[in-house]
Amino acid sequence: MTSLKDLDDAQFAELYGSDRFTASVLSSRMRYIVQHMCTGLLNNAFSLILRDWYDFAATISGPPEQNYPMSSVSNSLAMFLGTMSEAVRNTIEEYGPENLEPGDVIICNDPYRAGNHVNDICFIRPVFHEGKLISLVTLRAHQLDMGGVVPAGFSGTKHNVYENGLVIAPMQLYKNDKPVKSAFNLIFDNARFCALLLPDIKTIYQNLLLGEKLILESVERYGAEAYLGAIRYSTDVSAESMSNALAELPDGVYEAEEGIDCDGVDDTVEYKIRLKITKAADRMELDFSGTSPQARTSINAGILDTKTAVGVALKFLIDPATPFTSGAYRPIDIVLPAGTFISATPPDGAVFLYWESTGPVLLAVFRALEKALGRKAVGGDYGSLNIHNANGVLADGTPWVTTAQCGGEHGPWGATEAGDADSYSVVYQANNLDPATEAIESELPAVVLRKEYAPDSGGAGDNRGGAAVLKDTLYLTDAEHWSSPLHTKTASGVGVYGGEAGALGATWVFHPDYKNVTKDKDLIGTEPEVYAGATPVAGMLDPKTKTVDPDGEYFYFASTPVWHTKPNAVFRYLTNGGGGWGSPLQRDPERVRRDVRDEYVTIEGAYRDYGVVISGDPHGDPENLKIDQEATAKRRAELAAK
Amino acid sequence: MGAVESSVPEGLSVPREEVTDADLQALGVNLERDFPGSTAADFRRYPVLSEGGWFTVVKHQKTLESVSRETGPLLGPIVLTSDGLDVN
Repeated sequence: MTSLKDLDDAQFAELYGSDRFTASVLSSRMRYIVQHMCTGLLNNAFSLILRDWYDFAATISGPPEQNYPMSSVSNSLAMFLGTMSEAVRNTIEEYGPENLEPGDVIICNDPYRAGNHVNDICFIRPVFHEGKLISLVTLRAHQLDMGGVVPAGFSGTKHNVYENGLVIAPMQLYKNDKPVKSAFNLIFDNARFCALLLPDIKTIYQNLLLGEKLILESVERYGAEAYLGAIRYSTDVSAESMSNALAELPDGVYEAEEGIDCDGVDDTVEYKIRLKITKAADRMELDFSGTSPQARTSINAGILDTKTAVGVALKFLIDPATPFTSGAYRPIDIVLPAGTFISATPPDGAVFLYWESTGPVLLAVFRALEKALGRKAVGGDYGSLNIHNANGVLADGTPWVTTAQCGGEHGPWGATEAGDADSYSVVYQANNLDPATEAIESELPAVVLRKEYAPDSGGAGDNRGGAAVLKDTLYLTDAEHWSSPLHTKTASGVGVYGGEAGALGATWVFHPDYKNVTKDKDLIGTEPEVYAGATPVAGMLDPKTKTVDPDGEYFYFASTPVWHTKPNAVFRYLTNGGGGWGSPLQRDPERVRRDVRDEYVTIEGAYRDYGVVISGDPHGDPENLKIDQEATAKRRAELAAK
Repeated sequence: MGAVESSVPEGLSVPREEVTDADLQALGVNLERDFPGSTAADFRRYPVLSEGGWFTVVKHQKTLESVSRETGPLLGPIVLTSDGLDVN
C-alpha cells in the first residue's frame, strides 16, 4: 500500500476530497475543537471531579456511513479515549441514526455498551450540515453521583449492576435544544448531589454547542467533502503510524501475566490476566485467553476499557508522537473472551473501578514487550489509583463527599531510557490534574497533612523509578470511607532493561484513640514505631509492627467494606514505587549522591541498591555529602559478582 | 487480615475454529499463490475487536493476515439483560 507521504496530489485529492494542506489544517482544527470544548468545561464546571480532576474527554466522530471513525481526541483523560469510538457507534446505532435531528443530545452511560463506569455519561451531539448528518461531537464527563449504594460510587464492594448505580440506555436528553424533562428527572430521581449535576450538565451542553459551532464554521470554510475527507485522513495517519511502529518491533510471540489482589467479597481469589501477543510484520494480535473470570464485586472492567489499555500501552511504548484516533487500532486485533474481570458482563459483573483491572492490562503489555523493546522498554508505574471515597454530614446537616482527592491517587511512573521517572503523576492511563490542597480544605472537613516522597521506594536503576508518595489526610467529622488499594501484593513498578522493581505500598487508618493530631497538635510520624497501633487497610505487612513487609501477611482492603471513623481519624496512603531502567550499578555515583541529597535515596539505600558509599548528613548538611570512590568500586564489584 | 492462601480460578478462553480447504476456497484464497507452504490447518476463525468494532475473522495464524473480516455483533460477545426483550 502506498504511504500517505508518497501519494501525489491527484491521488490525495481523490482519496480525501481536498489538497494535502487543507486536510492537515482540518485535522489540526478538529484537535483544536475538542481541546477548546475541554477548556470550556474545565473553566466552568462546578463539581470537584470535573473542576479539580479533569475527569472528562471530548472527541469528534464521523457519520454512520463512514462507520463512526473517531478523528480526534482531547488531551485529557486517556482512560476514556479507547472507549469513545465504540461508545458513539453503539449508542447511535441503538438509538437509530435515522431518528437524530438537529438540536438533539443523546446520552448513554452503560459500561457494557459504552465502556467506563455509570458515572461517566457520554453526551453526544449530532452535527448536521444542509440537512445531512456529517459528524458527532461527544463529551464524556464524570457525574459526581449516579445513584447506587455508595454515595459518589467509588467502591469495589458493590455486588451487581443494581447496587452499582443508574444505567442509562441510549436516550434523548435534549430535543430541539430544549431539555427533555423526563430524562433529567430519571437522573435526578436516582442520583445524589443534583444541585451540582444540573449546572455541570448545562455546562457540558454549552460546550457541545461550541464544538458543533466550530465544526460548522470549518465546514462552511472548507466544504463538507474536505471535512469528511479530513476525518478519514486523520484516522489513516494514525493507522499508518501504528503500522510503521509495529514493523520496527521484532516478530515473535510475547507473553506476560499480571493481576490484582482480590475483589470486594474476600481475599480468597486472585485475579490474573494472561496475555499472549503475536507480532508479525506490521500487525499485532493480543489474546487475553486464560484470564480469570469476572470478580464478584465492582472491581471489574468492561471490554472497551481493556481496548483502551491496549491502545494507551502501545501508543506509549511504540507510537507516542502521532495523534491518537480510532485508526491506531487498525493493525491491532484484540481477542478477549466475555465474562472475565477485564470483560465483565451484566448483571453480576459490576463495573466500577475499571482502571484497577485494566492497569494490569497495560502493565502486562509493558512486561510482554520488554525484551522486544530492549532499551526502549519503560518501567511500570504505581499501579493503583488507591482511590478514596468518603462522605459524611457537617454540623449544620449539609452532606459532603470526597472522591479521588484524599487517597493515594497520585504517584510515580517508571524510568525510561531518557532518564529518571516523575514521582508525582497519575497512573499511565490517566491524564488528570492534582486537586489543590486549598480546594480540598475549603470544601471538605478534611485537612491534607502530608504529601511527601518515601526514600528508597523508587526502583533502582541506571535511571531511577519514581519515588512512592506518602499522603496523610485528617477527617474532622464522623465519616464513612471506601478505600480501594488493589495492587499491593506484588510490585506494579516493573523494572526493565536490568532495572529493579519499585517498593510495595500500603494503606492504614490511625484512629483518634491511638493518634490524635488535633489534640496532640503534631503530625503522625513516619518512623516504623508509629504503625504498631494503626489499623491496616491494605498491604503486605508485618503482623506485629504493621510496617510494609513483602514477606509479611496480606491485609485486605475490604475486610471492613465501609470504614466508619470518628472525628480526627487519619488515613495514610503509601503508593507503590515506580520501576527502574537499566542496571543500578551503571548509575553515575554522582547521580546517586544527588538522590541522597534530595532524600530520594538514603545512605543505606545507596550502599545496598547502588553500591555507592556515601558519608555525611543528608538532612542537616545536604550539600557536603561525600562519595568514597574506592569503597564504591569495591562494593560494586561485590554486587556485580552476585 | 488476609487468608493464608488464595487461588486463581481457571481462566476463560476464546475458541479458535478450524477452517477447511473448502472454506478458504470460498473466500477466494489460493494457498499456493497466497500462502505458499501453508495448509488450511494454519488458519482459524474467531472474533476480534479492532478499529471499527467487532469482526469475525479468518486469519492466517503465522502472518496474522486476515483473509476474511466480517462485521460482528455491535457489542461483540456481550449479552445485555434486556437483549431479546420485545416491548411491542
